[in-house]
Amino acid sequence: MNTYQLATDRNGLFDITPQVLAALQESGITEGLLLVSIPHTTAAVTVVSHWDPLGLEDIDDEIRRLVPTRVDFKHQADTPQDAAGHVKAAIVGHSRMFCVDKGELVLGSSQKIFFWEFDGPRHRTFHTQVIGK
Amino acid sequence: MSQALPTFLEQIRCLPELLPRLVEAIEPRARQVLTTPDIYGIRQIVLTGSGDSYIAAESAASALRTWTGLPVQALKAMDAARYLTQGIKTHSERLRGTLVVCVSHSGEAARVVEAAQRTRAAGAQTLALTAHPDSRLGRAAANVLALAVPDAGAVPGTSSYCASLLGLYLLGIRLAEVRLCISMDTANALRSALTQLQAPMAHAIGICEEPLMARAQAWAHCRVADILGSGPSGGAAAYSAAKLIEATGIHAVSQDIEEFFHLNYFVADPTEVATLVFAGAGSAGSSRARELCRTLQDLGRPFLLLTDDATFGPPEHSLVLPVVPEWLSPLLAVIPATLLAALWADRIGADYFRGHSGRWRASQSGALVRGSTIEPLLKEE
Repeated sequence: MNTYQLATDRNGLFDITPQVLAALQESGITEGLLLVSIPHTTAAVTVVSHWDPLGLEDIDDEIRRLVPTRVDFKHQADTPQDAAGHVKAAIVGHSRMFCVDKGELVLGSSQKIFFWEFDGPRHRTFHTQVIGK
Repeated sequence: MSQALPTFLEQIRCLPELLPRLVEAIEPRARQVLTTPDIYGIRQIVLTGSGDSYIAAESAASALRTWTGLPVQALKAMDAARYLTQGIKTHSERLRGTLVVCVSHSGEAARVVEAAQRTRAAGAQTLALTAHPDSRLGRAAANVLALAVPDAGAVPGTSSYCASLLGLYLLGIRLAEVRLCISMDTANALRSALTQLQAPMAHAIGICEEPLMARAQAWAHCRVADILGSGPSGGAAAYSAAKLIEATGIHAVSQDIEEFFHLNYFVADPTEVATLVFAGAGSAGSSRARELCRTLQDLGRPFLLLTDDATFGPPEHSLVLPVVPEWLSPLLAVIPATLLAALWADRIGADYFRGHSGRWRASQSGALVRGSTIEPLLKEE
């Protein structure tokens, strides 16, 4: 397993594809599966088109619209942004699995892997694990 | 050595070890004392108290202002009780949106209890910071943040003051965090900074005792002292003056560094006025503190600069403390402030609080501050 550190400076999407590709290359595995895992409850991992940066903003805007930061969440141990972040992260998910074929990560031409911060800025971690031959 | 000195010194020497335990005990309470909707209803913050509790409010106000971005002011209990509510009648809701944090270790200081009662009746959100939640203050305020302070015995308040300061800091961090003025990472770093002050505090004890013993000896004949500082160090100066009065009985006065040039500068017999200056080299008021040192030398005042940089002031007049962020300086300053008071009192054979006897017997058991008549807010006709 590889572990990476990430310092998010805001809420939103952060491209982690280069680190994931490097992890695959380092593993030497040519056929199998690659897992990206986020060990946080207010952050998630997703796949998004990377061509238009404004598209990334659209996606973050929409999750904020679906789960607004409110002051009346029952969970008040931390902050309203944290409470909303728990809900957002639960919806989006904390891991993604990808196919590995001929030593390459199987991603479409528009696809990139993004760390999605819901409670930034924070110091974050994510893991990769490659299984196969 | 007087019989009281070992008790006072023991309380001071225990502070570094006590600090993280206080943070650990108070932090979860500060986290839960106000709901998120309550916190978002705050438009301004008033910190109030009397004596050490007011000084804690004064010391913490600028940090809370910086973290929360809200208007934050420290008001003496008389101002909060009688003047903040002047002309306001009950149920008028005139103070809606104001969080009034009422600080009293015993929870029985009459004017602080009155401030909680009257501002609450005028619509303020009230929060008591006290070691005695079942006290009159605890009952008067809508919310209570309990401070866990071990009993220190009959010596000038030290751990109780530290607990009040920690309570205010931890409350401010919490408010700023929930209002998203600072990130959770930043909030946790600030909390850690409070805990990590343990090491600089312990170091300060080691480097302060000997030079302050020398000052206590050199200044033993002085009956007047000016204690100077600005911003957070203004709180440190006020605390130092308070401990000198309580422990030694001399007339010690705290003053802002700028105000010194307007007022205390003109005090007669400057060579007889012991002067203590609290100023960090990186503090916002540092350039004025440099000018102050030159002026004190010109006046011939016996003075000691408590700073954090050996090159900041005249070496023969400087005591260099460990470097800490400016907002933490009032907590670190507790060490030299209390040590000087303890050693000076021992040197001149003073009884703390004049023994609460003779002319001062009316102060026994805090009767003068607890027994004052509480005036309720006028009822709406």
